[in-house]
Amino acid sequence: MSDLTNVNPDAEKLQGMEHTKQYDFRLPETYFYRSEKGLNKRVVEKISYFKEEPEWMLEFRLKALEIAEKKGPPKWGPDLSGLDFENIYFYIRPSERKGTADSWDEIPEEVRETYRRLGVPEAEQRVLAGVGAQYESEMVYHKLKEEWEKKGVIFLDTDTGLKEHPEVFKEYFSTVIPPEDNYFAAVNSAVWSGGSFVYVPEGVEVEVPLQAYFLLNAQSIGQFERTLIIGAPGSKFHYIEGCTAPAYNTDSFHSGVIEIIAQDNANVRYSTIQNWSHNVYNLVTQRALVHAGASMGWLDGNLGSKVTMKYPSCYLVGERAHGEVLSIAFAGDGQHQDAGSKMIHAAPHTTSSVVSKSISKGTGRSSYRGLVQIFDGADHARSNVECDALLLDDVARTDTYPYIEIGEKTAHVGHEATVSKLDDEQIFYLRSRGLAADEAMALIVRGFLDPVAKELPLEYAVELNRLIELEMEGSVG
Amino acid sequence: MATLTGNPALSLDAVERLIERHDEPGWLADERRAAFHSFQARPFPTERDERWRYTELRRFALDGLELVDAPASEEVSERIRMRITDSDAEGVIVHKGNEVVHREAPIGEQGVVFTDLRTALRDHEALVREHLYQVVNASQSKYAALNSALWENGTFVYVPRGVEVALPLGAFTTADRGGVGLGRTLVVVEDNAKLTYLDEYTSDPFDARLFYDAASEIVLKDGAKLRYVSLQNWGRNVAHMNKLRAHLGRDARLESLTVSLGADAARAEVECRLEGPGAESEMLGLYFADKGQHFNQYTLQHHAADHATSDLLFKGALQGGSQAAYSGIILVDPGAQKTDAYQTNRNLLLDTESEAVSIPQLEIGANDVRCSHGSTTGPVPEDQRLYLMSRGLPPEIADHLLVTGFLYEVTSRVTLPKVAQYVERVVQAKLGVPGVKEKL
Repeated sequence: MSDLTNVNPDAEKLQGMEHTKQYDFRLPETYFYRSEKGLNKRVVEKISYFKEEPEWMLEFRLKALEIAEKKGPPKWGPDLSGLDFENIYFYIRPSERKGTADSWDEIPEEVRETYRRLGVPEAEQRVLAGVGAQYESEMVYHKLKEEWEKKGVIFLDTDTGLKEHPEVFKEYFSTVIPPEDNYFAAVNSAVWSGGSFVYVPEGVEVEVPLQAYFLLNAQSIGQFERTLIIGAPGSKFHYIEGCTAPAYNTDSFHSGVIEIIAQDNANVRYSTIQNWSHNVYNLVTQRALVHAGASMGWLDGNLGSKVTMKYPSCYLVGERAHGEVLSIAFAGDGQHQDAGSKMIHAAPHTTSSVVSKSISKGTGRSSYRGLVQIFDGADHARSNVECDALLLDDVARTDTYPYIEIGEKTAHVGHEATVSKLDDEQIFYLRSRGLAADEAMALIVRGFLDPVAKELPLEYAVELNRLIELEMEGSVG
Repeated sequence: MATLTGNPALSLDAVERLIERHDEPGWLADERRAAFHSFQARPFPTERDERWRYTELRRFALDGLELVDAPASEEVSERIRMRITDSDAEGVIVHKGNEVVHREAPIGEQGVVFTDLRTALRDHEALVREHLYQVVNASQSKYAALNSALWENGTFVYVPRGVEVALPLGAFTTADRGGVGLGRTLVVVEDNAKLTYLDEYTSDPFDARLFYDAASEIVLKDGAKLRYVSLQNWGRNVAHMNKLRAHLGRDARLESLTVSLGADAARAEVECRLEGPGAESEMLGLYFADKGQHFNQYTLQHHAADHATSDLLFKGALQGGSQAAYSGIILVDPGAQKTDAYQTNRNLLLDTESEAVSIPQLEIGANDVRCSHGSTTGPVPEDQRLYLMSRGLPPEIADHLLVTGFLYEVTSRVTLPKVAQYVERVVQAKLGVPGVKEKL
């Protein structure tokens, strides 16, 4: 998570071991309503009832449930056998309150304490245009600064978005990722709750980021946020998502669906660095529809979680649309980061670029899985994919699975990947200059990530480096 | 989705008849029966199987085909005679249908065995028994199982320890009748021995569909060196399925080249397993797909030992709305430290209807390795074409030169001049270069 998610006023806490404590806390589990365990029709109906949703949404949910039951989990990719739906709460409502608060004072004390420890209110004051905070299944806080509200920017939790802007909502919802798309999108469509609804009107440029924080505190919970982002023609903005959860013994499940529509000439960036605890299955579908002249950038950092399956995608449907993915993965002991990207070129002169950097340590495994598809007629499309993997020891493993399908003569497509290990000579040199072994290692890893890190806002980059250092602790043996 | 179905002609009865006809030894009979069992037990691949995802399976259908037996004519056509004279091979066996129709074997000195598999089973049974099915066997795929159960003939080459065979040897496989053809090649190169071997598939036009399932087993013992060329230029009425797999011992070196030019549909599986430290495998591939053709290349560089090297380069050009898919894996086992493994696939699209798929994959389980892969797909570079045109060349000649130049990166690494010349000539004929005929 960025500085923006975890700004901590106590500077000394940011040093070394002290820093771990910032993430390693949990609060008593309190909730107003908790669904029965497992996924079934009753649970879906209950969620819709609690949310007082229109009829069409309940129908949509039930149809998605049917699709999910028919599809079943994917048979490829990481091992998901530990994911036991029967043992997961699909919906937990933290408080009785309906809708979100727009002042931290209105939020229950324990929940507020959590966000305070993460430094959210502080960051909101300083550097953000708007903040949303989701606790378990519901958004508890959502606020946009007045300046942006006046310009017509909408920044709400998705449930409120549905109520207050039903027309815009219905026009775009589920158009980028229909429930038929994949199993986890179907599950999300059936039980979605929370997430952000963002609309930036034509020509409006939001200069500072909008941010949402996702927190799981309960055990064995499934969180299914649904984010819908619409950038009207010529708009420009940056949306940041942060995720965290305390470490429990039982596995939790996070399966978001993020739909983005970048209309003509819009410029949208979406950044997330997830730092879920190592018992969370993080199976997320992120996709953007990119229209003529628009530009979409995904920054995807996967540091936490037990298993991640996440392939941010750009469907480049308008002429000269541009898509970009910067991906960082760190797979420590027991983690499998199966991340990547999809770039679908369906219009002429579209361009895309993917840079993926992964690090594997101990029994960790990081995989790049990607697709570049160029349709016949997408003339002069260009795509370039670069994947670099760094292995920190002799048991770690890394895989690269790039799929490249080209049906257009004038397209230029390139893919390159390299795998390397920590260079003993570099470590030796740094140690001869007085650095401890772990410092030397961290420095080299930072250098490896630098091409991606330098694309980040400064606070973000600093935070990324701190998180990597935390993950690397004890790797010198 | 195309679903393949079985074929009543491929039955246990057929296996038993084969065993009886050749009065085969018990061990081989048992191997065949077990392989047939495994063929039957395995489902046909579907496009849902990752390894077959980009293969148009209906083009490899077996339906309605009988097992190929004797050829219609035992004569070797003028064209194929020309091919033999014009090849680098000095010793030749020609297979047609299930028969050997021609052989020009140089004297079997220094214990070198170069003969068809039937003769080898009679004269060198112990050698065949020791190595057959060790590298390609029924456990690997439906089609490998089919071949393992029902192959009738093929070629056997054995080079004893320390012997360097100076003259290239080769087999030509041809056909003049449709059906299911199954050929097997077993090449064993003992410690520090050396061999160059050519395996060519070619046919004159005939009016029936042929499905050809080829299996090549290559055993390279410690320090053995083998240059192996597999060249497929069947007529368009053929579907070709080829598995070429090599096991390499310590410090062994394999230089392989797989060329796909002919057939309606062709799938080449080229695999090597580096079992000894210091083993080296150079894997070259070249394909040129023209109108209606569907090519599939599947490669595996399996590093099971440390300090081994593999270097793969597959290049292909596509025109006339054809399809080609390349899918390859570098697999580095835990403990295979100091591995150097490279994999490059480049495709040239000559028209907008053709489709290229490229999936270069890495699965790396050791850290002290150098592994990289690269893939590019694009058209003939406009600036290069412009340059040639500015020098007075008409655009089509400029294109011919650029395509030949693109493939030259592969052909120039083949140290067999006649193979390179022949490939270039076929490519030029496909490009429609004036005055060049593919079938000389």
